Amino acid sequence: MCLLLRIPSDFFRNLPFQNEPMKVLVVEDEEALKESIVAYLRQEGYACEAAIDYRSAMLKTASYTYACLVVDLTLPGGNGLDIVRSVKENQPDTGIIIISAKNALDDKIMGLEVGADDYMTKPFHLSELNARLKSVLRRRNFNGQKVLRVGEVEVHPEAAEASVAGKKLALTRKEYELLLYFASNRNRVLTKESIAEHLWGDHIEMLDSLDFVYTHIKNLRRKIMETGVEDYIQTVYGLGYKFMSP
Amino acid sequence: MRVLTKTSLYYLLVSLVVFAVGGTVFYLSLREEIYDEVDDQLFTDKENIIAYIQQHDRLPNVTSGISEAILVRDADPADLVMEHLKDTLIYSNYDEEYIPFRQLTFTAYRQGKPYEYTILKSLMDFDDLTESTVLAMVWIFMLLLVGLVFVNYYTNKYTWRHFYDTLSRLKRYRLSQHQPLALKPSSTTEFEELNQVLQSMTEKIHGDFLNLKEFTENVSHEIQTPLAIVSSKVELFMQSENLNEEQALLLSDMYGALNRLARLNKSLILLTRIENREFAAEGQVPLHQLLQEQLAHLQEVISMRSLNVQTVEMQEVYVQMNSGLADVLLQNLLSNAIKHNHPGGSIKVLLSPQKLCISNTGAAPQDQPELLFSRFRTGHESVGSLGIGLALVKKICNLYGLLPKYNYNNGEHSLCIYFTG
Repeated sequence: MCLLLRIPSDFFRNLPFQNEPMKVLVVEDEEALKESIVAYLRQEGYACEAAIDYRSAMLKTASYTYACLVVDLTLPGGNGLDIVRSVKENQPDTGIIIISAKNALDDKIMGLEVGADDYMTKPFHLSELNARLKSVLRRRNFNGQKVLRVGEVEVHPEAAEASVAGKKLALTRKEYELLLYFASNRNRVLTKESIAEHLWGDHIEMLDSLDFVYTHIKNLRRKIMETGVEDYIQTVYGLGYKFMSP
Repeated sequence: MRVLTKTSLYYLLVSLVVFAVGGTVFYLSLREEIYDEVDDQLFTDKENIIAYIQQHDRLPNVTSGISEAILVRDADPADLVMEHLKDTLIYSNYDEEYIPFRQLTFTAYRQGKPYEYTILKSLMDFDDLTESTVLAMVWIFMLLLVGLVFVNYYTNKYTWRHFYDTLSRLKRYRLSQHQPLALKPSSTTEFEELNQVLQSMTEKIHGDFLNLKEFTENVSHEIQTPLAIVSSKVELFMQSENLNEEQALLLSDMYGALNRLARLNKSLILLTRIENREFAAEGQVPLHQLLQEQLAHLQEVISMRSLNVQTVEMQEVYVQMNSGLADVLLQNLLSNAIKHNHPGGSIKVLLSPQKLCISNTGAAPQDQPELLFSRFRTGHESVGSLGIGLALVKKICNLYGLLPKYNYNNGEHSLCIYFTG
């Protein structure tokens, strides 16, 4: 009993929070979309909370500290940009991703100017949101994983390198991006469309990008398997691919 | 034909007819009058001659009446001419031409014996009269004509000036620019009416245009959220552990269609925003740099299709436009050249201060070239493309006054953008 009382004052601050789920707040007025995002992020292991209007979002951000905020700009009761501003002021460590139906360039610039880390236009792929969220958390240095590890595959985003069982992989830029995307969404079905969009962005429209996805995946799979491990990339019927420890 | 020319011509035509008819009628009535007069005089002469013969039993002096000659011959009792008027021509040695005469032939008895008298009156004066009449008519006609045309032209020009003003304003009227048609008021009722009709019509059209535009905008924006919801739900659904193959394929098709819809919607929003001029020109955009960036970005795709890119010319070119739109423009031009190419084909890139040309090998076009720039127009081999790329190119060109031109020659498609318009 005595020992317990003598806990040092900085004990809680120094606690390793790696095992504690990271808190993410989703501010989205569209109930159904909010549910989807929350469900996906919870499956990823985040402690995900949601706010459906400006007021409750402001209340939540004032009372709790979040690792990241996913915020819609058009909200009942106020502008999402104001939430971004206030969070930026009070919790500068919190990462912020704006999701908006408005494709307006001004909104994007404004959002990034007031300190948002990323901007996504609706509709978006949940896997893409997840990947960007991970990237923001990494960059924010908010207990984010410096190394993404799936089985024996390791991706080091800071060095833009990947290795399998300690052996460095010689990847092209696109293959590396693909692997990073896979590692960010491990055990998830990634559609060919979302992979294509992740890799090529706006260029996707005109190209038979799905064929290119196939080629890249084939190459990546070959390079990983050449190191002597099992196949990490599982093909899921017509849906897409899943990256997981075999 | 301009309305002034037209009315002037009508005036001319009508005047010509009026003068022709008027001149003829004038000529005929004048002739009638003169004949009447001459005939009257001839008859008077005849009375005088008969009276003179009865009184003096000889022929009178020719100069006593108006008659210029009296011919007398024995009359044939079987065929007596009591009184006969007619025109005749007599050759004049002096004038060396035939001169028209009016002659009256009658029979009178002297000493119980019939004689046939013919008295003649020259119509020379009458001819002169006709001549001068026609001449005068022609002169009057000419003067009147010139006067008419001038007066007509200038009065018309004056009264039609509001019409021409309205016309030029209408020509300059652009639906997308939100400027109401400011027409000058006219004192001419018809033109004033025309102006009012035009004004209310353009206002109505402009209103409809705005409504339609707003509708498109709203639809595009409002569609985003439901799309995001459905897309996210399908994605969540896909993560289910116990999907069978059939269900997976259904989901996959749904997801593909959703993505297509989302991309289409994005492009439509972009088109609308360009139309709304929501993109301000940011400054001088280094087109050569952007082009090189885009080429580098597409390098992978280009090599995968074993296409060969030749840079014919690459000068430093700066264009005043929004850099985001410049990117969209180049991207669409290049992807078009890649998409409609055949494996192993080539792409030629030319950038000079006058123009930007992207040419590519490919099958001959099936459509008319001018349709190429319209929305949802796709070539035969591009499966799954939206056909909106070149419409975007055209919109962007329109916005900045650039001139896009398409050409097909010897198995080579080329799309050129002329910077000078």
